[in-house]
Amino acid sequence: MPALRDVSFTLDRGECLLVLGPSGSGKSTLALAIAGLVPRELHGEWFGRLMLDGRATTETPAPDLAAIVGLVFQDPASQLVMERVEDDVAFGLENRAWPRPEMRLRIPVAIAEVGLRGLERRRSTTLSGGEQQRLALGGVLAPRPRVLVLDEPTANLDPAGAEAFVERLAAIRDARAATIVLVEHRVELAWGLADKVLALGRDGRPIDAGPPGDVLARSGRRMATEGIWLPETPEGAPASPAVVRSQRPLVEAADVSFGYVPGRLAVEDVDLTVAAGERLALVGPNGSGKSTLGLLLVGLLRPDAGRVRLGGADPSRLAAADLARRAGYVFQDPEAQFLAMRVRDEVELGLRPSERAAVPALMDALRLPLGEFGERSPYTLSGGEQRRLSLACVLVRRPDLLVLDEPTFGQDRLGYDGLLDILSERVEEGTAVVAATHDRRLVHDLGGRTVALDRGRVVSGTGHGAAAA
Amino acid sequence: MATTYGQAAGAVADTHWRTRDIVVAAIIGVAFGVVFIAWNGLWEAVGAVVLPARSLIYGVWLIPAVLAPLIVRKPGAALFAEMVAAGLSVFLGGTPWGPDALLSGFVQGAAAELVFAFTLYRSYSLPVLVVAAVASAAGAWIHDWVLYYAETDTQTMLLVGGAMAVSAVLVSALGSVALARALRQAGALEGFPD
Amino acid sequence: MIVRSPDELSLASPLGRVRAVTKLGLALAWLVGLALVVDPRPPIVVALSAALAGVAFGAIRPAALFRGVAPLSLAAVGVGVFNALFSAANGDPLQPVALSVGPVRLTEVALVGGLALGLRILAIATVGVVFALTTDSTALVDGLVQQLRVPERFGYGALAAYQAVPRLAANLATLRQARRIRGLRGSWHPRILVGLLVLAIRHGDRLALAMDARGFGSARRTRYREVRWGPIDALALVVGLVVIVAALATAD
Ligand SMILES: Nc1ncnc2c1ncn2[C@@H]1O[C@H](COP(=O)(O)OP(=O)(O)OP(=O)(O)O)[C@@H](O)[C@H]1O
Ligand SMILES: Nc1ncnc2c1ncn2[C@@H]1O[C@H](COP(=O)(O)OP(=O)(O)OP(=O)(O)O)[C@@H](O)[C@H]1O
Ligand SMILES: [Mg+2]
Ligand SMILES: [Mg+2]
Repeated sequence: MPALRDVSFTLDRGECLLVLGPSGSGKSTLALAIAGLVPRELHGEWFGRLMLDGRATTETPAPDLAAIVGLVFQDPASQLVMERVEDDVAFGLENRAWPRPEMRLRIPVAIAEVGLRGLERRRSTTLSGGEQQRLALGGVLAPRPRVLVLDEPTANLDPAGAEAFVERLAAIRDARAATIVLVEHRVELAWGLADKVLALGRDGRPIDAGPPGDVLARSGRRMATEGIWLPETPEGAPASPAVVRSQRPLVEAADVSFGYVPGRLAVEDVDLTVAAGERLALVGPNGSGKSTLGLLLVGLLRPDAGRVRLGGADPSRLAAADLARRAGYVFQDPEAQFLAMRVRDEVELGLRPSERAAVPALMDALRLPLGEFGERSPYTLSGGEQRRLSLACVLVRRPDLLVLDEPTFGQDRLGYDGLLDILSERVEEGTAVVAATHDRRLVHDLGGRTVALDRGRVVSGTGHGAAAA
Repeated sequence: MATTYGQAAGAVADTHWRTRDIVVAAIIGVAFGVVFIAWNGLWEAVGAVVLPARSLIYGVWLIPAVLAPLIVRKPGAALFAEMVAAGLSVFLGGTPWGPDALLSGFVQGAAAELVFAFTLYRSYSLPVLVVAAVASAAGAWIHDWVLYYAETDTQTMLLVGGAMAVSAVLVSALGSVALARALRQAGALEGFPD
Repeated sequence: MIVRSPDELSLASPLGRVRAVTKLGLALAWLVGLALVVDPRPPIVVALSAALAGVAFGAIRPAALFRGVAPLSLAAVGVGVFNALFSAANGDPLQPVALSVGPVRLTEVALVGGLALGLRILAIATVGVVFALTTDSTALVDGLVQQLRVPERFGYGALAAYQAVPRLAANLATLRQARRIRGLRGSWHPRILVGLLVLAIRHGDRLALAMDARGFGSARRTRYREVRWGPIDALALVVGLVVIVAALATAD
């Protein structure tokens, strides 16, 4: 099945194209094609022609193409090459054989353009996610590409980081310094940038293309049914009222501190209680300790100080089988948690035969029907599909506590609604749901308590809900 | 007009290193470096004194020298991956063997490399991999004997060498084949020759 | 995982300013020198010289040096004891016996030999730690490429792969946790190694794609940072060679 078909568009110099589409509609494939990496580096069947500055991508040698197009991916860490900020920005210039004096002039400017002045000598692995992504942008912008292609560049960033990033993009667009192709699910941020919108459908065929207003008026309804987020989608009332059904505390964390490296705490003196059937959103900037706290709650990390109790027991000392009955955890990076070579084996991993019966229905609900996806490798799924698979692996069991780290990451509207339905069902049954997230819509729709972290400490929202005696 | 893009299969070994060949060969070395460091506790637990027992898991150290060439199929892959893995222990805590890591990495990588060179980089069949793994273990054995076990008697060192050879066959060669198969199943090797 | 990277103070120190390639060459020369003789004295001289140079000219805190060397002291003891126990000298009835417990007969020669080889490991470790704590990996690769003509694409390709270390260490931890939370025992199951390699290779693939997209591998490349030999390298070389010759001279 083609990832992308019959797509046609033209883009004038300095324009910004926003590419929208449900998960798996071929957005990333299109981004890679514009940079010439599909089909040169990623194999497949190729029909038609893609002209960039008057040259066909399939016939232009890679280095020539690289001089025209700059590409920014979703994951900032997978595009940083050199150890230090300054050297990384220099990398693209060196490759294009810029003379040293010109590099000396250009590099500080490029660093300032993305707001990283003062961090020139920092190791890029020590930057926050938002800073890393701006560094990736700076490195790509330094050689002044004529076309800039960005594939969900803000997906891993906290709201402030995403806004800062989009601001930088807006400055580039306003200066008409480069032609921009931007793939985004977070339309509310990106919509203002677009001169044109290209909407792709589920089957990889275009739904519509043109100026944003026109596209919305002509095809808004169709886009919504395909699952594309639209800018003015109203925030409805929370899925269900925030009622805590039980006073029984399920998880208790008391004065919990944890550090990965000596002398730097990732989570500090956190008190938190979650009752059965309760919903809790953990929010906070990149690096504030949300994931770490989540891992502590289910005993995958053991606190350095303080204690955690899950149903009365220390979860870090439970036998694996016992822990899996009490708690489920979805890790932030969807592909880092896969342990099998086929989607079917992945969901069924560790399940008792009696539990397997629930698999097909759940996979249908998450729009990963086993008939279509069962034999595929988890690793070759699109980003959104991987996220849903990792959710399926945990939702297929019925633990008392679900901790979900960025569960809506990269999801289109249908994926999102499907997940929310399942979650409210579970809450009805008395499951407690804790979600660490940057997604403000999810915080709203989850309709429970919100706890904000900053630098490892709880800064707003109380750690205790109704369960606190 | 449809054009199918993919790997062109040829009888002659392709000797051009693409960027992905370089980075993937290097990252195999890095991944094993990370595993070694995480495993260091286990290594010590097997007992610094029980050398022959330790030799039985020595093969894990030599996997990059077999797995990287098996995946990227380019001249120099064994040496390059092993040197990258060694370079890592120069820069990371846990295994500060320092300059010697580079020396032993060089010896292990070069020994395996010679075997692949002997086939003109055309064959990566199981027998070739086994010979390469054993050659690599032999290099490691001589290196360790000269540098660390200079006082140990010959008989004991022959026993150690035998254990290392067994480990090279079972762990390095067969292990690499199993790993490569799993990686292919996972779809991680789409851009690499079968 | 702790990445042992040098701090800025050490990089600015005299030892930090010696070119990486010079230090690497010296470290290897010392290593070869140590391999020439089995005697406890040369490794002691080498270890002390390296430690002294690191602390006095490399701005290394003694505690940091100690922390770096400590993990290898166990291996040093192990190797020393092994050599002493299985020394050929133990079977020689003419050799004076230092210690005999039941059937085990340890000769003086064997004990001294074991001590020498244990100390050899400590000396090598000390040199390694001083090198690592005063050398920037970028500077090393720059030096290898510009001064030793190591092919550029391999040098920077490897450097790019090194940036993945913290990520792969985190991946490894996540995979072990992922098994546990799904009720599976065995946090060192081979599947974990497979998972880690899949992630590593996919990451490497994406990284290579990003590098290609930034024009890596084009025919001509310029350099932002230039590495040239300086007088300090000559000085370091002379001092370093004097030390190893002097160390060897202390042997019987
Ligand atoms: N390497 C691959 N092998 C096989 N199929 C693939 C591969 N990469 C992507 N696909 C499939 O191609 C289709 C388009 O994928 P693509 O990654 O372009 O989607 P996307 O629109 O970017 O989705 P998302 O929003 O989830 O990132 C998907 O159905 C995906 O499963
Ligand atoms: N495996 C690890 N090793 C070392 N440090 C880590 C590790 N994981 C996280 N950290 C550090 O711990 C702190 C908290 O990280 P954590 O991942 O919990 O934050 P987060 O709030 O989930 O961030 P994000 O929004 O980016 O997911 C950060 O400073 C991070 O750099
Ligand atoms: Mg995508
Ligand atoms: Mg997180």
